[in-house]
This record gives sequence, C-alpha cells and structure tokens, in this order.
Amino acid sequence: MRKSIHLTLVLSGVLAVAACSSGGGPGSSSGPVGLVQVGAYTGDQAFEAQFAASIDYPALEAINSAGGILGRQVSLIQVDTRSDPADALTSMDKALATNGNIAGILGPDSTSAATLVPLLNSKKLPMMIAAGESAYDRSSYSYLWRDVPPDPANGEAIALWAKRQGYTTVATVFGTDAGSQGDLPGVLAGLKAVGITLADQENLTPDQPSYRSSAQRLLAAKPQAIITESDGPTAATFFGELVQLGSVVPIIGTSGTPSTSYFSPLRGAIGNANFDKYFRAVVVGNPVANPAVTAFNKAVLAVQGKLAKPVTQWENNSFSESGYDAVVTLALAMDAAKSTDGSVYNGSIMQVTAPGPGKQVVYTYPAGMAALAAGHQIQYVGASGPMLFNSYHNSFGAQAVEQFPANAPAMVVGTISQAAVQALNG
Amino acid sequence: MLTVQALGFGVVSAALIAIGAMGFTLQFGLTNVLNISYGGAMTAGAFAAFIAAEWHLPVAVGVVFALLAGALLTWLLGRTLFAFYARRGAGVFEMVMVTLAVSLIIQFGIDAASHEQIYRFSFPQGASLRWGWFAFTVTQLVLVTVAVAVYTGLELLLRRTKLGKALRAMADQPRLARTCGIPTGKIVNVVWLLSGALAGLAGLAYVINSLTIDASVGTTFLPLVLAAAILGKAGSTRGAVLAALLLGLVTEEVSAWGGAPYATVAGFGILAIVLATRPAALAGQAAGKTEITV
Repeated sequence: MRKSIHLTLVLSGVLAVAACSSGGGPGSSSGPVGLVQVGAYTGDQAFEAQFAASIDYPALEAINSAGGILGRQVSLIQVDTRSDPADALTSMDKALATNGNIAGILGPDSTSAATLVPLLNSKKLPMMIAAGESAYDRSSYSYLWRDVPPDPANGEAIALWAKRQGYTTVATVFGTDAGSQGDLPGVLAGLKAVGITLADQENLTPDQPSYRSSAQRLLAAKPQAIITESDGPTAATFFGELVQLGSVVPIIGTSGTPSTSYFSPLRGAIGNANFDKYFRAVVVGNPVANPAVTAFNKAVLAVQGKLAKPVTQWENNSFSESGYDAVVTLALAMDAAKSTDGSVYNGSIMQVTAPGPGKQVVYTYPAGMAALAAGHQIQYVGASGPMLFNSYHNSFGAQAVEQFPANAPAMVVGTISQAAVQALNG
Repeated sequence: MLTVQALGFGVVSAALIAIGAMGFTLQFGLTNVLNISYGGAMTAGAFAAFIAAEWHLPVAVGVVFALLAGALLTWLLGRTLFAFYARRGAGVFEMVMVTLAVSLIIQFGIDAASHEQIYRFSFPQGASLRWGWFAFTVTQLVLVTVAVAVYTGLELLLRRTKLGKALRAMADQPRLARTCGIPTGKIVNVVWLLSGALAGLAGLAYVINSLTIDASVGTTFLPLVLAAAILGKAGSTRGAVLAALLLGLVTEEVSAWGGAPYATVAGFGILAIVLATRPAALAGQAAGKTEITV
C-alpha cells in the first residue's frame, strides 16, 4: 500500500513537471513562436538536413529581423527523424510533449510523412510538407499544405526535358530506398507518354560495395541518357564503375539530387569535367526574377555562417526558395489571422497566397506584415513565384532544368511549365 | 556475355570481402568472440586512410594509417574491455552484446566526429584494362592481388611457423595449449593486432571501391564479412576465402541476370541454405568450444 502511495506521488510529480515544461500550448500568446523543422538530420537521408538549414535560417532571419510574428520572435525546433518513420513518430511525440509554443511544422519529408502527417493533422498543426508522394495529391488532411510538385510531376518534367533534348532511348538508375523511388513512376509514365524507349532500368540497393554488373548491363543497352536518383554514395559507386567500364552519357537527376552530399561524391567518381558536361537536374520551382528572390538571397548571405559551404549553392536554389516561401507564408498567415493557433490561422494560408481583386501583391515578409497592419488583403508572391494552392492545398509551378558548375550558383538551362506537365496527363 | 563478365566482377567483390573475412575468422577462431565491433575497426581504418589523403600524404602512408588504426583499436579493445568482461565471467552471448555496444559507440562516435557527413574518397583508380570479356581497373587488380597476398601470408604463418602452430593449438584446445607452456598472452596479442590490421585494410579496400566514406562503412560491410567467415567455418582462412568467392560470384551473377536488388538476398540465402544443410560450418567451431580466450 505504502509503495502504491509513493508511486502515485512520484508519478504526480513527474506529470506536474511535464505540464510546467510544456508551456502554454499552441495558442500561447507569449514567448517565441515555435516552428518545427522535422526531417532527417542523421541516418542515410541526412543530406536533407542541409536543405532544411538553407530554408530555415534565411526565413527566420527575414522574419525575426522584421520584428517577428505578432511581435514575437520565431524559434526553430529541430526534430530528427533519423531517416526512419518509426523514430520520427517517437521524436515528434517528444517534441510536442515538451514544447508548448509550436505553431507550425516545416515538413515532414518523404521518409516520415506516412507516420507524421496523421498525427500532426490531428493536433491541428499546419504543415508545409516536402514529401512528393502522390498520396497527398488529393489529400483529405486539412492542415497539410504542399508547395512542391508531387513526385510524378517531377518525373514527367524530366521525360519532357529528355524529349526536348532529342533522346529516343534512355535508361533509369534509381536507388531502391523509399526516398529515391518516389520519382520513378512519374519518369516511367512520362517516358511512355512522350514516346521515349526505356532501354534499361537499374534499381540499386543502397550502400553495396559494387554495382559493376548493373553498370555493364546499362552500357550494353546503349542509352543516350540516364535518368537517376539515389543517395550520394550509391551514385558515386555506380557512376564511378560506369566510367571505369565505358563512358558517361548525359545524366538527368531528379529534384532529389541537388545537394553537396550528392554532388561531391559524384564529382569525385566521374570527374569534374564529366560532371559539368553531362549532369543536369530538373528541380522544383519556377526560376523567377522578382524582389522576393533578392530578399531570399540577402537572407541567405546574412546567415551564411550556418549553411553548408559553398553558400552559393543555396542562392537561387529553387528547392530552398520553395521552402523559404513556405515559412514566410505560414508567418504571414499567422499575422493575417492575428493568431499563432493552427486551428485559427490555417484558413488564412490560402487567403495570403491566392490572387484576388484589390489584393496588394507583396514579395517580402516585412512588406506583407506592413500591408496587413494597414488593413490590406495581400497576395504573397515568393522567391519561387506565385503560390496557387488548389482545393487539396497543392501548389506547383514550372520546373527548372539546372546545371551545377563548381563553386558557382546553379545555372538554369531550361524550364518545363506546369501546363506542359498537365498536358502530358491529358 | 554479361554473365561471363560478372565472373570478373565477382572476383573483385570477393577480394574485398575476403580481406575482412580472413581477419575476422582468424580472431573468431582463436578468441571465440563474435566480435561485432570488427565493423567499427573497418570504419576506423577507412577514416585513418581518409585523413592521410586529406593531409595529402602518399598512398602508402594512408595504407599504413589504415592498418595501424584497425590494429591498435582492436588490440586495445581486446586486451582491455573484452578481457575485463571475460574475467568477470561473460559468456559467448554476453560478449556478443558487449561487442555490439562497442560497435555502436565507435560508429556514432565517428559519425559525430565527422559531422555526420558523407565524404568523397578520392583514390587513383588507374587505367581500365580489358582482357577479352573481362574488364578491371588497375586498382581493382591491386585489391585482388592484396587479397591473394594476405591469404598466402596467413597460410604460411599458420602452417609453416611456430607462431602459427601455437595459434592453431590454442584455437583447438586452449587449456591444453596453456598447460603445454604456449605463451597464450603473446599469441592473443598477435591475433588481435593482425585481425585488427586486416579490418583496417578491409575498410580501406571498401572505400577505395565505393569512392565515398561515412561512419556507417563498417556496419554496412560487416554482414558480408561475417557471412563469409561463418560460411567458411570459423578459424579457417581458406574457408573464408572460398566463401567470399562464392558470395562475390553469386551476388554479381544475380545482378547480371537482372536481379540487382536481390543480389544481397541471394548471397545471404546461400548462407542460410549452407547452415541448414551443413550446420557444422558454424557449429564445428562454436559448439565444441565455449571458452573465451582474450
């Protein structure tokens, strides 16, 4: 009996401490506004953390230097999925239990969306997901928003680019991990739709000591180009062996490939000259020139000490720009709703991004904040262009084909419009 | 044609696996410790060579770094931590758990120290050479030659030297060996150092081939090394080499036939079949010997 009493007292104490540390809940009107960046900071998909940093720090710089959201500074809470959906759930549960100021979510990504989206939706936390899975094309999750194309759209844009280059025979090389497979169905469907022959399809189990047989089979198929996505080490091993066995042909990477942790091993494996000559990636986001791009690049430079080097890789980077726009949009929606409570400001996300008569177009967070304070309706047009969410909260525009010179910003060498992608689907 | 080419690829893969498997089986055969931290020693060796390369030191110095890092780490663990647990009466299973914990500590320690990044491992691959349907780089041929040299050296050591005889005696009958006056401490030292050096060399060989390096190199590679060592019967370098050859050839042939994602599955499938039909391959060593010698 005495033991039971002691146990009850201890548990009560623990619960009381937990309650105190949780703060005032999501509607809390004091202290910093918490935004959770959930993604893979460790594990085999850890390169995603580099992207996250290129989004978070410039966006926070832009918002906090303008005075924050509703006069409160924004703090970043990093939740590590460890590249594993089960670990992601545990980590997120812990973050939600110990942080009472969480107002919005940046992410989750492909590796953890399946487990985290239902949880976060039930908590009424607006999330700007970075997962391209088709499952979210017509999602019923009302707190889910996506400003990157669904995976098939990127694959279809790649097929369109291949067609535009005059290729009639290509091969695909994809990692078998979930993060790398997302674009493959779109690529295959797109190739079929544009009439390009698939000469060879290689699926690589990541982290094997050798892919020589796969490389030899690909060479025997004589493709004019290779469409690919995998993790960096797998790409380095495969393409390195491809060079050893024969020669390189043009390589088209998906939107999942541009990152230092992919480029660096691949450059080492095939050589800088081959990389510069043959590698292109079709990436999300419409390359635009507007004041939002200038503001984004300025914010990148302001926080360059926190970003992976070289910092030039993040300037004019479509993926980073889309993520940055997502953060600014959440912040403006909170300003418009005058609340950091997700259940209140969720409806304002559409309100601050959709065009409309009499709306003031703004390109930066300070401009948007000032316009809202002056009582205007706004449309935020970001560094990635206008964000036109459909009824399923999906927005994607044109996609850019980019070249990646060493020690220089990515160069846009072509664009694939949203209309062209949609036309492919009939 | 591709099937024939895959034989050449299989030999290269086998060489990578064999270097690690010979070191592992040597140590396992003598100490009876299923040392999971061997993967950590492979990673340490690979990173030591990577550091040498980053310092622009000659390739030979990088190889020495890898050998030393693997040898010293393994020897240190064997003579201190594993010996401590053995003295406290840890059995075979408990020791596996200890080595697993050590393996995780090494992996995540290196992960933290390397800022959780994947690095390019630049190593000169040499020219591509073609002999009929077979294609190799100079470096791949060097790796195969190294594997053959290691095998030959170990066979000579085990069969032609006093040290080798003492080592085999200890592996078969440790108590009897001690009562016969064999300096067991000295032999154990040699085995930890030798197997550790081979672990470092195997880690280096792996990253030379894969061209990238991160903290998970050893743990990624370890299952293949373990499979070859177990398949070839613990303690037998010849068995380890033959098993590595079988694994290398099977995985590459399965890849050549279009089943790249199933290549590893096929390799481990063979291991499962052999263990089911010839359990002596594993039990031959472990069942008759429960004593840990560290």
